[in-house]
Amino acid sequence: MDMTTTEDLRARSRRRKLIIQTLLLAVTVIAILGAVRSAQQNLAALGITSGFGFLDRATGWDYSFSLVERSIDDPYWRTLLVGFGNTLFVGFVSIFLSTILGLIIGTARDSAHPAINAAATVYVQIFRNIPLILQAVFLYSVLIHFPGPRQAVTIADAVFVSNRGLMMPGLNLSLGVALGLLLTLLALAVALILRKVPLLRGFGIWLATSVLLCAVTAVVLRPEGGTILSIPELKGLRFVGGITVPVELVAMITSITLYGSAYIAEVVRGGLNQVPRGLTEAGQALGLSPGAIWGRIKVPMALRSIVPPLGNQWIFIMKATTIGIAIGYSDLFYIVSNSITQSGQTLELIFLLMAAFLLVNFSIALFVNWLNARLQLKAH
Amino acid sequence: MLHVNTYVPIYRTNKEGIMKSLIAIGATVAALTTLSATTASAQSATVTQIMERGTMLCSGHNGSYFGFVEVNDKNEWKGLDIDLCRALTTAILGDPEKAQIVPLSWAQRFPALQSGDVDVIIKATGWTMGRDTELGLQFSLPYFFGGTQIMAHGDLGITDATGLEGGTVCVEAGTTIERIVANYLQTIGVTTNNISYESAAELRSAYLANRCDAFAAWGPFLAVLRATEIDNPDAHVILNDQLSSEPIAAAMRQGDDGFVDMVNWTIASLLIAEEEGITSANVDEMVANPPNPRVARLLGVEPGMGERLGIRDTWAREMIAAVGNFGEIYDRNLGEGSPYKLERGLNNLWSHGGVLYAPILD
Repeated sequence: MDMTTTEDLRARSRRRKLIIQTLLLAVTVIAILGAVRSAQQNLAALGITSGFGFLDRATGWDYSFSLVERSIDDPYWRTLLVGFGNTLFVGFVSIFLSTILGLIIGTARDSAHPAINAAATVYVQIFRNIPLILQAVFLYSVLIHFPGPRQAVTIADAVFVSNRGLMMPGLNLSLGVALGLLLTLLALAVALILRKVPLLRGFGIWLATSVLLCAVTAVVLRPEGGTILSIPELKGLRFVGGITVPVELVAMITSITLYGSAYIAEVVRGGLNQVPRGLTEAGQALGLSPGAIWGRIKVPMALRSIVPPLGNQWIFIMKATTIGIAIGYSDLFYIVSNSITQSGQTLELIFLLMAAFLLVNFSIALFVNWLNARLQLKAH
Repeated sequence: MLHVNTYVPIYRTNKEGIMKSLIAIGATVAALTTLSATTASAQSATVTQIMERGTMLCSGHNGSYFGFVEVNDKNEWKGLDIDLCRALTTAILGDPEKAQIVPLSWAQRFPALQSGDVDVIIKATGWTMGRDTELGLQFSLPYFFGGTQIMAHGDLGITDATGLEGGTVCVEAGTTIERIVANYLQTIGVTTNNISYESAAELRSAYLANRCDAFAAWGPFLAVLRATEIDNPDAHVILNDQLSSEPIAAAMRQGDDGFVDMVNWTIASLLIAEEEGITSANVDEMVANPPNPRVARLLGVEPGMGERLGIRDTWAREMIAAVGNFGEIYDRNLGEGSPYKLERGLNNLWSHGGVLYAPILD
C-alpha cells in the first residue's frame, strides 16, 4: 500500500517534470520563431532585403590577409570562409604558443628562486592588466615604424625584416602540396601522442621525419624549372618569393600570445600550488632531481586541476582574435564587419559570425571535456 | 502613420493648368476625408518625433573626419556636415544647440539609422544604388561632390596609380572607397595589397609610418589631410587618377516622404539664401526689407514656407541666422575661413561654375 503510493507520487512527479520541460521547450521555440518572424516583417516594412541570397554575390572589395588566393571577384561566402580560416589560424597558433609560454611562466611563478619568481610576476601583472586592444595597437605602431621595404634589415640577403613584415626563404611548393605536407606532419604528431611515445623521443622522431619529408617533397614536387628554395627578393614596391609573414599577423599573434600566456601562467601556477607538499617532499626524500620532481610529480598531478580552466582560456583566446579590425588583420570579425557595411545584411552576417564562434568554441569545450575525462585519476 | 497620398504637391502645379490643380485638390479632399486624423500641413512622423523629443539626433564620427565631422579636445563638433545638421535642427526645433551628435563609425551609421539611434545621416555619405534600394534608405539632394583619389609617398616617384604595382594601399573599412579602389586597380591591371582599418587615426598613422605605400580616400579629405595634418606636405603626392565622383547626400529611413521634403528644403534653402545673398549677418535686414518675393517667401515674411512642411513659417530665417547660407558654411569649414582652404570647384552654385542648384521655390 505504502509502496504503491510512493510509486504513484514518483510517477506523478516525473510526469509533472516532463510537462514543465515540454512547455519550456515549446515556449522557447515559439519565442525564437516569433523573433525571427517579427524581424523579417520589420525588415520588409523598412524596405530592407533580407535572406542569404547575397552570399553568392561578388564582394568587390579587397582585404589584407589570406592563406589562400583571393580576388575581389570572390563571392561573399568564400570571403567569409577565408576570414574564418584567418581567425582559426591566428586563434590556434596563439593558443599553442600561449599554452607553452604560459606553462613556462607559470612554472617560474611557482619557482622558489626569488629573481625568477619576481620576473614572472612582473610579466604576468603587465600583460594581464593592460587591455588586449591597447597592447595590440601599441605593438602594431611599434612594428610599423620599422624601416620600409626598400631599407629592410636583412640577414644574409635571405631573411628581411621591414615594416611590411618578415620575409624569409621557403620551399618552392604549391599551396595544395604545402597544405598536404602540413596535415601529414600534424597526423604524425597526433599518432605519436596517441601511441604514448615519450615526449622527448617523440619530438625527435617527429622533427627528423618532418625535415626528411619536407626535403623530399621539395625536390620531387617543385614546380617545373623552379629552384628548391624560394628566396624573397625586392621587386618594385614589394618582396616576391619566399614566405611573407605580414606585420599585422605578427602583431596579432604576439599580442594575443603575451596576453593569453599571462592568464594561462596564473592557471598553471594555481595548479602547481595545489599539488600537496607531501608529494614534492616525498620526491626530494627519494633523491629525485628538481626537474624530475617537476616533470614526474608536479605537472602530472597539477594537470588535473589545470585542464578545465585552461579550456576556458583557450576559448577566451579564440574570441580575442576579434581585435583584428583595429590593426587591419582580416579575421572573421573584420570580414563580417566589412560585409555588413558593404552588403547591408546586418542580421544575417551577425548570425553567421555567432554561429562560427559557437562552432569553434563549442568544439574546443568538447575537446577539453574529453581531455579532462581522460586525465581524471581513475580511483579519485 | 501618415499615409503617403495625403501629401499632394498642389503648390507646384500653378504652371501646369487648372485641371491638374483640381485633380490634386480633389485627391487631397478625398485623402482628408478618409484619413481624418491628418492635416493639410502633413507633418512627417520623424519631424513629430524630433519635436516630441526636443533634440535632433545626427551622425558624428568615431574621431575626426576633417572638414566634415570634426571633434575638438573640448568634445565640440564642427564641420560641413555638422553645420548642415545644425541647420536642419534649427529648421525643425528653432535652436542649433538642440542637435545631438552621436559618434558612429562608418560601419555603424546605417544600422544606427535603421534602429532609430539617429534621425538622419549627414556624414560624407555617397548615394549608391545598394543603399538606396536594399538598405531601405532614401537620399536627399546631393549637397557635395567629391571623388576618390589616391595619395602616395613622394619618394616612390610616381604620379599615377600604375606605379603602385605590388604596393600596399590603405583604406578606411566599410566605405565605398574600398570598393572603388579595388575595382579601379583591377581595371587598370595593377595588383596591390589593400589593408583597411576601422579607425581613421589608425589608418593615418599606418600611412605616415610607411606601412602603406598609398592612402586611398575621398579627394577633399586627402587634400585637407595633406594641408594640415602632415608635417611635410611636399613629401606626399595626390596621384592624377580620378577614381570616381560621388554625389554626397543626407540619408534617411525610407517611408517618411515628409522628412525627405524637410531635409531637401533645408539644403535647398541654404543654396537659395546663398544665391540671393542672404547671410547670417544681413538676414534681419532682409526680413525687414525683402528685395523680392522669393526672399520674402523664403524668410517667412510671406506665409507658406512652414505650412507646407508642417512647421513654423520662419524656419529658414532662423536657420540662416544661426548657421548662415551654404557658402558661409562651406567657407567656415572647408574654404577660406578654415585651415584647409579648399577651392569650391564643383561645389559652387550653378551660377558660379559649380553643380549645386536648388529646386524652384514658388
